[in-house]
Amino acid sequence: MSEKKPKKIKIVIAGPFAAGKTEFIRTVSEIEPVTTERKITDPKEKEKKSSTTVAMDFGKIKIDDEHELYLFGTPGQSRFNFMWEILGEGALGVIVLVDSTDPKTFHEARRIINFFQSRYPVPLVVAANKQDLPNAWSPEDVAVALDISEEEGIPVIGISAKNKDDVKKALLLLLELIKTQLTG
Amino acid sequence: MTLTGDLKSFSFADILQVLHADKKSGVLIVEWKDMTVAYYIKDGELVLARPVDKVFRIYVDRDFEKLLEKLRLRESSLAETVKKFFLSRLDNREGIFSFTQGFIRYPETVPVFYPAEYLIMESARRLTLEETERKISDELLVFEKAPDYEEKVRKARLTDEEQKVLNLIDGKNTVKDILEKSGLDKLTLYRTLYGLLSIGAIRRKRKKAPKKPSISLDLLAKLIEKIKKL
Ligand SMILES: Nc1nc2c(ncn2[C@@H]2O[C@H](COP(=O)(O)OP(=O)(O)O)[C@@H](O)[C@H]2O)c(=O)[nH]1
Ligand SMILES: [Mg+2]
Repeated sequence: MSEKKPKKIKIVIAGPFAAGKTEFIRTVSEIEPVTTERKITDPKEKEKKSSTTVAMDFGKIKIDDEHELYLFGTPGQSRFNFMWEILGEGALGVIVLVDSTDPKTFHEARRIINFFQSRYPVPLVVAANKQDLPNAWSPEDVAVALDISEEEGIPVIGISAKNKDDVKKALLLLLELIKTQLTG
Repeated sequence: MTLTGDLKSFSFADILQVLHADKKSGVLIVEWKDMTVAYYIKDGELVLARPVDKVFRIYVDRDFEKLLEKLRLRESSLAETVKKFFLSRLDNREGIFSFTQGFIRYPETVPVFYPAEYLIMESARRLTLEETERKISDELLVFEKAPDYEEKVRKARLTDEEQKVLNLIDGKNTVKDILEKSGLDKLTLYRTLYGLLSIGAIRRKRKKAPKKPSISLDLLAKLIEKIKKL
């Protein structure tokens, strides 16, 4: 075998601020995720968490000797900047995370879906995250709030990004969707 | 099940959209600075609005018909409560809402004078341009009518301007096209689209068929196996 560098397969983990992207990646990555976080100084944002992803974070899963799966998290605040363009390019699919306990972020989530649909129309799954919390909206209600109609072909799944089985389920749902588009 | 949030970032149009789409029944409570109002929702329709001095009082009354007796309300005056404690408060966005499903027993039928479609449209008519851009985020979006749109817009009681917008929604015109062809101002157009989308009369049309994913079936199968085993 030659010492070729493994090929990168890319899945983008997108979503509004504090939706759980870093958590999601951390839960399944085989390496300690590479994050470029900084301390949050804005007191309003600080209520939600103490640090934020400035550039991006990524996790890695080895598929075989020639392939690695990269999970790229989109940066929190600056939406749709050049980083997003880089992230979208060549992605196999997108998982948009939504904080199901925080309806004020739902509109932002829809804008993110629109961004990918118009720029990079790759298979996309919505994960209604934080279902372990008592005030979480159900995945069905999140779907309605995001105006996801049935014929749009965007599955919505309820998960907790802290739970490995849930994160696997979300990834598998995306991969099955990709499979359908490949064969269909 | 509870749905909670802030009216500032999630308007009545958004709340009613969710309650109406799933035909939920229960009580929506909004706590404003000056008063707390309980909105009784049956099968996704607002049937009674009732101000209360303390939230816990709402949970004392679990039978809708008995509640009406207690409040000395006749069915014919229910519409009046919606007007007084819902429609008149649409401009006030300083409130926290929470919806609790179930717990109240409704009779088989309760008259609905203001259908949810109408209330959603009324709420959408008050959004700022910035708020409407949350749903209408792109001038190049294309909408199409939903199969059952006629019934929905009948209940919504559209204005002539809104009807004009609806007529231009054909699965081909972009938002920009509609703006030009209708001669309407941007705010009116965006509010109308927001409302029509929220009542389910129109929906986004998928632009293009998604590209075939650039991966082989073999590799994809490997990937799936790997994730399963994680
Ligand atoms: N209870 C709960 N908390 C979560 C979940 N996912 C993320 N969080 C928390 O929500 C906060 C924001 O998550 P983070 O991954 O940093 O969000 P990001 O901005 O999307 O990267 C952190 O405090 C996480 O621990 C979840 O599924 N359940
Ligand atoms: Mg992060």
